[in-house]
Amino acid sequence: MNERVIGARQLSKWYGEVIGLNSFNMEVGKGITGIVGPNGAGKSTLFKLITGMIRPSYGELQVMGEVPWLNDRLSSRLGFCPDYDNLPDEATGGEFLSLAGGLHGMKGGVLRERISEVSGTVGMEHALHRKIGGYSKGMRQRIKIAASILHEPELLLLDEPLSGADPRARRALMEVIERLHREEGHDILVSSHVLFEVERMTSNVVLIYKGRAVASGDIYGIRELMDDHPHNILLEGTGMVEVAKRLLELEHTVSVGFHGSRECLRVSVKRPEEFFNRIPGIILESGGELREMYSTDDDLEAVFRYLVGGG
Amino acid sequence: MVDSVGVTAFITLTGFKFRKILFNTRVVAAVLVGVLVAGVMFYASTLDVVFSDSAFLLDVLVISFFLPVVTMFYGSSVIRDEIEDNSITLVITSPMSRWAAYLSYYVALLMAMLLLMFAILVGGFLAFYVPFGISRGSVSLLGNMLLLTFLGCTVYSALFLLVSVVLERSIYFGLFYAFIWEGFIGSIPGRISEVALKHYIRSIGSARMEFMEFATASGMVYSLYVLTVVLVVLLAVGIAVFRQKEFPG
Repeated sequence: MNERVIGARQLSKWYGEVIGLNSFNMEVGKGITGIVGPNGAGKSTLFKLITGMIRPSYGELQVMGEVPWLNDRLSSRLGFCPDYDNLPDEATGGEFLSLAGGLHGMKGGVLRERISEVSGTVGMEHALHRKIGGYSKGMRQRIKIAASILHEPELLLLDEPLSGADPRARRALMEVIERLHREEGHDILVSSHVLFEVERMTSNVVLIYKGRAVASGDIYGIRELMDDHPHNILLEGTGMVEVAKRLLELEHTVSVGFHGSRECLRVSVKRPEEFFNRIPGIILESGGELREMYSTDDDLEAVFRYLVGGG
Repeated sequence: MVDSVGVTAFITLTGFKFRKILFNTRVVAAVLVGVLVAGVMFYASTLDVVFSDSAFLLDVLVISFFLPVVTMFYGSSVIRDEIEDNSITLVITSPMSRWAAYLSYYVALLMAMLLLMFAILVGGFLAFYVPFGISRGSVSLLGNMLLLTFLGCTVYSALFLLVSVVLERSIYFGLFYAFIWEGFIGSIPGRISEVALKHYIRSIGSARMEFMEFATASGMVYSLYVLTVVLVVLLAVGIAVFRQKEFPG
C-alpha cells in the first residue's frame, strides 16, 4: 500500500445495543477508495467517526496520522459530503457555499473566486442565486460536494454521493468525482451500496458488511463473484411491458418481472454496466418513459453472505 | 481557535444564524406578541390611568410574561432544530472549535432576542405614551425597561440554548419553565420566588423604579451578581455539553 491516509484497528462503535461498527480493521492509501456495503452495513458510521462527529466506543482510528475526535486542525484538512440532506432550504446555493467557506476562515474576494470555481466544477454556477429548497436531488448532491471541496481539503469523504440522483446525474457526479482526484489531486473515500458504480471510479475497494470489513483490495476479484450473483435493478415508468420484452432479448439479462404493478419492473442482469449503457436506447425504442431507476442491494447482500461464509 | 480563521468562522456563523432565527415563520408569533402588547397599551391610554399603571402594565406584559416566553419559543429550538434536520453537520465538521460554535449560536440568539424584545417593548411604550404624552419620567421608564429586557434576554437565551442542546423535546421543558416556573413559582409572594430568574430581574427594576418595588426584592448588586453567576454557569455547562456531544444523525 502507498502512504497510509486512514488506519482503523479494532474500531468499534455501539449505539446502545445497536452495533454500528464491530472490530473494524482498514488501511486506506492515497487515491480513490470505495467503501461498498449494503444499507445498514456501517458505512455512514465509519464516515462519522472519521469526521469526528462521533467518537469510537473501542479501538483506534487515525486519519492522516491524527485522531479525529475534537480535532479542529484535522477538520480543516477534510471535506465531508454526508449521505443525508443537511442543506438549509431557505438559503440560496451561494449563501450556503459562503457559510461553508466562512466556517473554514475564507472571506472576501478569495471566497467569491473559490465559490465561482467549485460551482463550475460541479456544474452549479447557473443555480447559485436560487433557493436550495427548489433544487432537484442531483443539484442538492452537487451543492453538497461543492461545499465539501471549497476549502481544498486533502481528503474528501463522500458518503453515498450518488444516492437518489437520476441516471444522468449519477453519471455526471461520477465524472466530477473522478476529475476531483485526477485534476485537483484530492484523495477520496467514496461509499456506495452499488458495486458497479464504485467500479467506475476506482478499482480499490473496502467491502463492509454488518459493521466489519470483510474484504479489501482490487475490485476485479469481487466482480467475478458478482457474475455469480446477478445485479437487481428496479425500473419505474410507463411502457414497461415493451421494455421488458426488449430486455429479455439482451444476452446478460437473467430475469425480468413486474414488481408490484405493471409500471415497475424488476430486472436481474449479469453485466450491469452494459445494461445501464443500453437502457436509454431501449426506453426510447419502446416509446415508454422512465420515472425512476435504482439498484437494490440484494445482489450485494448475496456476495457479502458468500464472503462471510453464510451462503 | 481565536486566530483570524476562527474570527471569520465566528462572524460567518453568527450572521447566518441570526438571519435564520429572524427570517423564519416564527417571526409571525413575535409580530403577534408585539401587536398584542401595543394594542393593550393603546387601550390603556384611552382609560383613566396614571403613569404608574402604564409602567405596571409594561412590567407584567413584557418583563414578567413575554420576555421568558418569547425567548423560550426561539431559544429552545436554535440548536435542536439543526440537530434534527442534520444541518449542524456543516458546523461540527468544520475547523471551528465547538466552544466557539456554541458561543456563536448564543450571540446570534441574543442579538435576535434583543432586537425582537426591544421592538415589542418600544412598540408598547409608544402605543401608550404617544397619546398619553411623552415626559422625562416616561423616557427614564423606557430606559430602565430596556435595561431589564437586556438582562432578561442575556440570561434566558443562555438557559434555553442549553436546554436545546440537552433535551430532545426541549420545547416541553421550555413551556414548563416559562409558564410554571417563571410564571407561577416566580409570582408566589415570599422567598419561594427567589428560585426564578424573574425575581432577580424584577429586583433590579425594584431598586431603580418606585412602581416596581416589592417587599421581598433582593438588593440590586446581589441580583446582578446572581444573574451573572447563572449566566456564566449556563454558558459553561452548555459549552461542556456541546463539546462532548456526539452527532450520530
